[in-house]
Amino acid sequence: MSEPLLSIRNLTKIFGGLIAVDKMSLDVRRGEVVGLLGDNGAGKSTLIKCVSGVYHPEEGEIAFDGKPAVFATPMDARRAGIETIYQDLALANNLDVSANIFLGREVKKRRFGGLVQTLDDRHMLDQSRNTLDSLQIRFAALVEPIENLSGGQRQAVAIARAVYWDAKLMIMDEPTNNLGVPEQHKVLELIRTLRERGVPVILITHILPDAFAVTDRVIVMHRGRKVAEKATAHTNAEELVQYMVGAREDAAA
Amino acid sequence: MPKAQGKIQGTEIVTERTVRAARGGDVAASGVLTPAQRAAIFLSRIWAWVFLGLMVLFFVVAVPLTSGGSVNFLTNRNFQNILVAIVPVLLLGLGQTFVIITAGIDLSVGWVMSLASVLSALAIRGSFNSGLPLFPSVLVGFAAGVGGAAAVGFVNGVVISKLKVPAFIVTLGTSFIVRGAAYLMSENTTVIGLPEGIRAYGNDALIYYIGGDGGGLYFLQRPEVGGELLRRMDIVLPYPVIVTAFVVAWAMFLLHRTQFGRHTYALGGSMDAAVRSGIPVDRRIIMLYMLSAATSGVAGCLSTLRFTAGSSVIGDPLLLSSIAAVIIGGVSMSGGSGTVIGTVIGALIIAVLTTGLVMLNVDAFWQFIVIGAVVIVAVLIDQSRDLIMGRPKGGIRR
Amino acid sequence: MSKRVLTSIFILVVFLTTSLLAQAQFKKPKIGFLPGVVDPFYQVMQLGVEKAAKDLGVDVVTQIPPTWGVQVQTPLLDAMVARGDLNYIITAPTDKDQMVGPLKSAVDHGIKVITVDTFLGDGDYVNGPVKFPISYIGSDNVEGGRIAADGLGKAIGGKGTVYINSTNPNVSSVEGRAKGFKEEMAKKFPDVKVLGPDFNLDDENKAAQQTSAILTREPNLAGVFGTNVFSAGGAGTAVVNAGLGGHVQVVAYDATKQAIELMNKGVVSLVLAQKPFDMGYMAVQFAVADAAGVTSLPRRVETGFAIIDKENVKDPAVARFIYQVPDK
Repeated sequence: MSEPLLSIRNLTKIFGGLIAVDKMSLDVRRGEVVGLLGDNGAGKSTLIKCVSGVYHPEEGEIAFDGKPAVFATPMDARRAGIETIYQDLALANNLDVSANIFLGREVKKRRFGGLVQTLDDRHMLDQSRNTLDSLQIRFAALVEPIENLSGGQRQAVAIARAVYWDAKLMIMDEPTNNLGVPEQHKVLELIRTLRERGVPVILITHILPDAFAVTDRVIVMHRGRKVAEKATAHTNAEELVQYMVGAREDAAA
Repeated sequence: MPKAQGKIQGTEIVTERTVRAARGGDVAASGVLTPAQRAAIFLSRIWAWVFLGLMVLFFVVAVPLTSGGSVNFLTNRNFQNILVAIVPVLLLGLGQTFVIITAGIDLSVGWVMSLASVLSALAIRGSFNSGLPLFPSVLVGFAAGVGGAAAVGFVNGVVISKLKVPAFIVTLGTSFIVRGAAYLMSENTTVIGLPEGIRAYGNDALIYYIGGDGGGLYFLQRPEVGGELLRRMDIVLPYPVIVTAFVVAWAMFLLHRTQFGRHTYALGGSMDAAVRSGIPVDRRIIMLYMLSAATSGVAGCLSTLRFTAGSSVIGDPLLLSSIAAVIIGGVSMSGGSGTVIGTVIGALIIAVLTTGLVMLNVDAFWQFIVIGAVVIVAVLIDQSRDLIMGRPKGGIRR
Repeated sequence: MSKRVLTSIFILVVFLTTSLLAQAQFKKPKIGFLPGVVDPFYQVMQLGVEKAAKDLGVDVVTQIPPTWGVQVQTPLLDAMVARGDLNYIITAPTDKDQMVGPLKSAVDHGIKVITVDTFLGDGDYVNGPVKFPISYIGSDNVEGGRIAADGLGKAIGGKGTVYINSTNPNVSSVEGRAKGFKEEMAKKFPDVKVLGPDFNLDDENKAAQQTSAILTREPNLAGVFGTNVFSAGGAGTAVVNAGLGGHVQVVAYDATKQAIELMNKGVVSLVLAQKPFDMGYMAVQFAVADAAGVTSLPRRVETGFAIIDKENVKDPAVARFIYQVPDK
């Protein structure tokens, strides 16, 4: 097997007196989908926020694409090629779809002989439409503020944003939360497509059927620590639940 | 899991639930607005314009009626007066608009204006007395006034973004510091002894028009006429109004056509999303508060030119009027929405009201009652948008 | 200006105006009244203006600025000018330099200006830098300051420290009072040390705060001079709150009911009453006379004082100068 794309060693994150992530280590290789499971408060979201540059871990090393990586800001992680879809979506409600897709990375156009820089709204709108089409998502109006959209549609925007920027690694935190059944299927389909393209995915979920549907490996966290790491094919729901509630624990996996 | 009888039309994300929601006008679930909802939203956006129009109409009709025909509201002179009257409130409100869109607030704008007035007066006097010609002295004055103001804004921005102290408290604190500084720098709160020539910069206009016999159009400089001709003289586009118009145009461009403006809206929409999208939030916040202070600085410099004196007490009553203008103009205090043109309308409403009351010979104190009522109506209308869209009160979870 | 001269002018003007009105060849002038701020002094002046308007049959348009300052007075002035139907504006300019421009602009539009209580420039409309107002009608504030100094100096026995609390800088009225006060103190009571003036910007609360601060700092403070309605009110309150009523002598300019109350309580030893009613009444008369073609109106009229102390406060001839507005 090739070098892992993402390599985390002994990562620890502490908030005040609370140890949210306790010496976590994991690898993610190209072309695989890793499921990160655990009950609420297990530390899954915190862990991936350390990878995406939102939090700075107290201890531990992260290596990405063969090099050690320190992501001081979310922009650093994005520039490195890590795209994250957060549980709360991190969308700006008062902006429209294309503004959200390009948030923080707006495309500019020079006018008046280079003196003035304005937003290239036309370009961003076209690109957004293309991306949404390629994901087979259709909206009624692309220029309305997204606060009018349903939960599923907002999820679609978040996904489109991550997909547009051609990630090397995709992290999804509970992506099927607001979705109806057909939409959930579409998300799972998308994950498979990404794997085919060679883009690895870290999928955080507590919905076991989803994990069984798309992941190659599952890692279970409990109270900030890794308590299990199994190939998906070699485990079952009851076993995973036992790990998740802390009734069972593998020695330093 | 209930079997969704949705129509998966090949490619659309549609379920029976969404279809039902769309028919019932529940926007949150369907993402589609009914025509009635669209109309209501549209009205809520333009009500300030409508109100302004109705108010103007009211005064145009009522003033001649109550004065027996001797006083007219619809005169060029009156129009120019109103434009001049909105200059300080509008300039203060411009920077404030940006700041309030991000759900912040700048309580120091009034005193920053005073500080700028004092600084510009001192600078003009100093440079003129040491030999600099008039126009360059005025430029030095502007540089000192706006520069000093921007420095205060910088401090505001740094403390708010880096030290994470709420904007309300920080700007309140700086307002006191600035006030003290302005008093101390001025001589007994006023700086006088400025060259008489600057009065022209602060009061003259681009075009002078004298109607009737012996009249004509004059440009750039006040014609030296007297008597009857002087009486009939009308001005169009006073310089302070022109300066303000440029600042307003620039602010509109900044807010709606640049990345900075887009980020301003983003900060107001969701600070979290902004951070996680990689927007340099701290830098933006500092720029925003510097902007807010700078527009107030311009207002202070213009005041110095108008009254040929630097005054450290001019800003106080204007702070609350500027906030009122911004709110009436449709900027939501919880952030995320608002326009520059809205603030212009808000400032106009206040100025037209005051002028109209004087013309109606009604006690000008009524303006406070009316403006207060209009502000409350503005907030109610803003909140009604949530109701129209079928959202729970307080808006969508961010 | 002596009472006799004043009365003579009064009679002259009344005679001229009524005789000319009788000829009724001219259009009645419309007058605008724009005082300094909301306070009892200007309220009494407004009574004078309205009475004269009624007596002489002219219309007056009144606007009172809510706070003191050129930024507030100027837009009201501009609006009055923009009406287009006013021939005269009677005003108390809130700054003797900054209001020159806006008022000159009113004159350019064909409106004549009469200043009351405060003046523009140096108050000399014949030889001074500002010449366009018809007249200045007000108190001789420098003289008033001198009278206040005399009274306070005597009350404190000619020695000790006194403090001036004033309102706004660059306003001719209070400036004159402080000047006269300091001059007279230096001349007649050279052993008295004079502190201030501090500027309370027409805020009575601030006047009280400033005076309290001085009272704490200067344990030997013997007297306070409050140069107008708010200054005297605030200073008096501060003295009472410090429990020093009767020990620290207060001289108050402007005879508000509050000042008189304090005098009855023994806090204030001397009250200088101006005559705002006369100022207002005369200003309207001047406007009417000027409209009728009278060219010999005096360019400066000093309306005199009533000096009120504990002895004469009950005398109705004196008490009528206390600023009271009849209940509406």
